[in-house]
Amino acid sequence: MTFLEKQSDPTSFMHWRGDMQADYLYTNGVAGNRFFAHLKKKDTFLASRCPQCKKVFMPPRMFCEDCFCDIPDKAWIEVPARGTVRVWTVATINAHGKKLKEPKVIALIDIDKTDSAMLGIIKTKNPDKDLFGQKVKAVLRPKKKREGTLKDILYFE
Amino acid sequence: MNKVCVIGVGHTDFNSMTPDMEWKEFMYEACQKAYVDAGIDPRKDVDSFITCAEDYYEGFGIFDEFVPDQIGATLRPCGTVCGDGIHGLGNAFMQIKTGLMDIVAIEAHSKVSDLLTFGDVVLFAFDPVFERPISGPVERPNFAGSPSYTKKAPKPLIGSSKETERIHPYFLAGLEMQHYLRKTGTTEEQCAKVVVKNKKNAFRNPYADYEARIRVEDVMESEYMFKPVKSLDIAPTVDGAVCIVLASHKKAKELGVDPIYLSGFGYCSETPWLSTRGMDAGYAKVAAKMAYKMAGIKKPRKEIDIVEVDDKFSYKELQHLESLGLARSGEAAELLEEGELDVKGSLPTNTSGGLLGVGNCLEATGLQKSLEIVTQLRGHAGKRQVPDCEVGLAQSWRGIPTGTGAVAIFTREGR
Repeated sequence: MTFLEKQSDPTSFMHWRGDMQADYLYTNGVAGNRFFAHLKKKDTFLASRCPQCKKVFMPPRMFCEDCFCDIPDKAWIEVPARGTVRVWTVATINAHGKKLKEPKVIALIDIDKTDSAMLGIIKTKNPDKDLFGQKVKAVLRPKKKREGTLKDILYFE
Repeated sequence: MNKVCVIGVGHTDFNSMTPDMEWKEFMYEACQKAYVDAGIDPRKDVDSFITCAEDYYEGFGIFDEFVPDQIGATLRPCGTVCGDGIHGLGNAFMQIKTGLMDIVAIEAHSKVSDLLTFGDVVLFAFDPVFERPISGPVERPNFAGSPSYTKKAPKPLIGSSKETERIHPYFLAGLEMQHYLRKTGTTEEQCAKVVVKNKKNAFRNPYADYEARIRVEDVMESEYMFKPVKSLDIAPTVDGAVCIVLASHKKAKELGVDPIYLSGFGYCSETPWLSTRGMDAGYAKVAAKMAYKMAGIKKPRKEIDIVEVDDKFSYKELQHLESLGLARSGEAAELLEEGELDVKGSLPTNTSGGLLGVGNCLEATGLQKSLEIVTQLRGHAGKRQVPDCEVGLAQSWRGIPTGTGAVAIFTREGR
């Protein structure tokens, strides 16, 4: 059949339905715990710098993936919670392939003073605007409501 | 050293869904066809069996336990590679090179139509602490029975948000395509031409499921899903199973088959961290370098006659051609427009219809690509046959959100 749209709902045929109960508790790790403990109290990010190649990781890591060496405590630095948009997209589809209630602008943001980027939702009134190179800063939950998860970063603007 | 050859191939038809067959029957069909093609009895002749699968795609824990019966491997050496089909080919290649095994069968499949929550499963492959929460709420809509939720508190203790739905994980392709277009000067129209070409090629491939006569405008007018990725830029998922039988050169001669040689392969993975990963398909570049070296290929553009590259998204075909060293940065779109990537061009690319024309068959991608190259080198490709092809390349990428790729080089003559 040469149609672009095809029947893809197998539930209309005889079948057995099952699901996987797969809930996990993910440990943040040593570096992650420090990062989120810091984020709970401060409006900046923690990063770590490789002592050999000087690459700055944000989120911070305990080891450098390029040099395969430890990153010592003294090589940790505080960096501003802002950066520059490298690439961005407007997502209109949800995980089940249906339309999102409202489109979401999502970007890869090069974080200032680091060699790392971070995914972030961009809050903008004009989702079609070219955001390339735009400076954005993280908007965090009010300090009292922070819990030490990525959800403390509400969005970038 | 032992040369390694393909002595048999088999595959099912590829369909958007396969409600008439369960996954075991489906794998049995592909394997039985490959064994008949090779003229062997798997219960006696095959020394080792490899399947390529990923538990969450399959819907089983420890999928390898469910494998032996339908591929003829009970009480025989059998294992599952959690990777693409070309990773399986690579493992088989090495087993034969050691001299321990003479015949190895590799199977990979997609029964993705059984998977009702594909987007969620792919999101499960994102870093759970630093990346996955970006897509939306962390809690599942159905929390019944989970110890971390109670009737009183139907939300997890931390990480709750007011969001109601998750963004589809393919947003990453939107980010990468924008990077590719900006870096190379390639346009969305040029990517649309990849879709038109591959869906057209699929007409001449009997097992392809997404053949279509469409125009560039149809692609351009299709809906933006993850701008600049439009709905027709995305390879729709498909069910299909492929089995390839490899053997040592000596064994192939004994069996009297006319072999195609697997002369090189390569694979590698980039860092999983999106924070530091490149956006230029570096995995394909490194994997190709390894494969070229093994196969003694010095000038890939001149020496390779036909390629099947991963085109899970239209721009990926162009990006991969460039990473593989078959075009300069930004040149792939020019080759496409000049017709060089057509069946009759100088670098026929995705003559099978690619994933845009055949369908995205997940971990079976590499074997579907290898199947096409072997079919072409054997001269069995019918109306899509590329004349005089001696050397072919198959390449796969494990898809969003991975940075993993593999390359296989097949040749008519042993190297």
